[in-house]
Amino acid sequence: MHRLKEGETGHLSDLKLGQCAEVLGLHNDNLALRRRLLDMGITTGVKIRVKKIAPLGDPVDIELRGYELCIRLDEMRNIDIKVVSK
Amino acid sequence: MRVALVGNQNSGKTSLFNCLTGSNQKVGNWPGVTIDRKEGVIKGTETILVDLPGIYSLSPYTSEEEVSRKYILEENPDVIINIVDATSLERSLYLTTQLLELDCQVILALNMCDILEKKGISIDEKELSKNLHMSVVKISALKNMGIQELINLLKSEEILDNKHQKIYEDPIEKAIEKISSQLNDLKHKRFISVKLLERDPLLKDKETENIRHDITECEQAYQLDMEQIIANQRYLYIDKVKQTCLTKTPVPESGTDKLDKIFLNKWLALPIFALIMALVYFLAVGVVGSYTVELISGEGGIITLFQNWLSEFLISNEVSEWLISLICDGIIAGVSSVLGFVPQLIILFLCICLLETSGYMSRIAFLLDKLFRSIGLSGKSLIPFIVGSGCSVPGIMTCRTIEDETERRITIMLTPFMPCSAKLPILTLFAGNFFGEFAWLATVFLYFLAILTIVFSSLVMKKWIFTEKGSAFISELPEYKLPSLTYVLRDVGEKTFAFIQRAGTIILFCSVVVWFLLSFSWKLEYGVAIEFSILASIGKGLAWLFYPMLGTLSWGSAVSALQGLIAKEQVVSSMAIIAGLFEETADATIFAGNGIFSFFTPASAYAFMVFNLFSAPCFGAIGAMKRELGSVKRMLQAVLFQTGIAWVLAVLIYQIGHFLEMMG
Repeated sequence: MHRLKEGETGHLSDLKLGQCAEVLGLHNDNLALRRRLLDMGITTGVKIRVKKIAPLGDPVDIELRGYELCIRLDEMRNIDIKVVSK
Repeated sequence: MRVALVGNQNSGKTSLFNCLTGSNQKVGNWPGVTIDRKEGVIKGTETILVDLPGIYSLSPYTSEEEVSRKYILEENPDVIINIVDATSLERSLYLTTQLLELDCQVILALNMCDILEKKGISIDEKELSKNLHMSVVKISALKNMGIQELINLLKSEEILDNKHQKIYEDPIEKAIEKISSQLNDLKHKRFISVKLLERDPLLKDKETENIRHDITECEQAYQLDMEQIIANQRYLYIDKVKQTCLTKTPVPESGTDKLDKIFLNKWLALPIFALIMALVYFLAVGVVGSYTVELISGEGGIITLFQNWLSEFLISNEVSEWLISLICDGIIAGVSSVLGFVPQLIILFLCICLLETSGYMSRIAFLLDKLFRSIGLSGKSLIPFIVGSGCSVPGIMTCRTIEDETERRITIMLTPFMPCSAKLPILTLFAGNFFGEFAWLATVFLYFLAILTIVFSSLVMKKWIFTEKGSAFISELPEYKLPSLTYVLRDVGEKTFAFIQRAGTIILFCSVVVWFLLSFSWKLEYGVAIEFSILASIGKGLAWLFYPMLGTLSWGSAVSALQGLIAKEQVVSSMAIIAGLFEETADATIFAGNGIFSFFTPASAYAFMVFNLFSAPCFGAIGAMKRELGSVKRMLQAVLFQTGIAWVLAVLIYQIGHFLEMMG
């Protein structure tokens, strides 16, 4: 996977370590899971930074709203984003 | 007065609960789920404090949330203390906005205020209180700061009333108003109205055509679905509040981030983890652990000495023979085989508690999640398996650290498949006698079989038994911190006490029952030879079950397998006794000549060994399963499942082995 450049859109799972993005929306069929993501603050417009990645590449520790959250690539694939600067 | 304690996971809820209640606590389970239900009396008052499970929201999707919601809506606590991690205020206030929709007084307890400065955060609590219209207290549960102020506030009548502020945009507020006007004089009107707007499945019966119409209208206006609209606007509101009362200055990289560069390093993380696990194993079940077991219940150990002394004492006082046997062979032997593990357990609980409170346990899940998820387990499942190779009982008890209910239950059911140290004598007896110089290979294959069985069973259970959706791995990596001594001592003490309590009840009872069956005939004569005991006739009745794995009807094998329920090493001593030998010579002679066990071939020996190792564990482990699975029914399911798998494996091994033996 090439590194997404600033302004490009994609999924949260496409981000590399240290990159930042703004959430455009969530599309997830599992309502419970989607609700959980919303509850944790992954709502439209929020800024997210990839902070730590597990040694096996999954899950990922992301930073948003002044705190950190661990989340799996599977869930991150369902979050649309636009890459922004730090 | 009743007060409910509500907060996110890792917000310091347990610490605050302990601070407020001191030692007046009662721990149980919430009905239907194995989530702790803790209650206590707040120090210096008569107020009852109920600790609700750690939650992020009052949505209806997890059992923790359901329990909390049900409690608040149905049992109407007088006040809610909402404990909040002040270092992640924004996320935490999300739950607060939901609590403020209830018809209930809410106090905001800003926890971890002692480390705000270090993080470059400053919070104006007066401004926050004004904005949210609720009482705010700054505390630190860890440093015991602000606790008295919180208690004083509870005692006073000065808790700010909940004003139900309008926090959403106009179209949503209008819809809420409209719905709540139709709810007549229901309590928690605003809360229920919002939930109805969100199409809450638990409130389906209150949904009307009008409400559905309003929902569609809003969704069309915003081009989003209602759950997203509500969540977005809650966070928009919180953002506004935050800007008035929180300032943040940049700080240098935190200690946690520096440590994570090592502990979560791409190359170092797994070796460090292996090292830490090896240390835990060494201390708890390896050298140090088995030394303590030897010290207590080994030859010349405290319990053995006590047992000998007691039996001599009873004999010299001419107590009847059966009573001595009941006390020494039944009660003490049964219970001590379990109590012998207590020092080992204390070491283990200490290790686990340190791993948990230091913040490393969450990292383990983070490290291994990918690996274990592929077989439907959690990264934390590895710990019970490692510990279980020493003893299943603490292994099963460490399953507590797995948050997801399904993964926890599967792990509990699979942990006894790891060959524990009590099973080693069985392994030595059969592998040593039938596989000669290849005994090591037979042993290695057995461990391999154990792992294979765990993987296979987990996949089967995930696919057909626990078909609920998999858990999302959504959790937090807490900060590394030095564990607090009082907390560690308290935690280890509580767990150890719970274990001893069980040894004194269920295990005592089961041991006495097996002793009775073994010592008496059907005519209730005491002291009969083993082949005339009630247990032997039960063994004869069950012998057909073992026929497919032994190729013969052997009551002696059935009886020995049953005795393994007390402790697995008893299988060996039982076989020795039945073969007419003394316990001490439990070796090749068991299978010699025309003896009762001379029918064993390598195939049936391996099959019988596998059955004993994989079938229902000892009473100690069964008791632990009952407690951790939360019901007798689930425990029986687990035992049947384990015995079923063991039976199928044993039969397969015998049939294949027997076929090979016939081929020459």
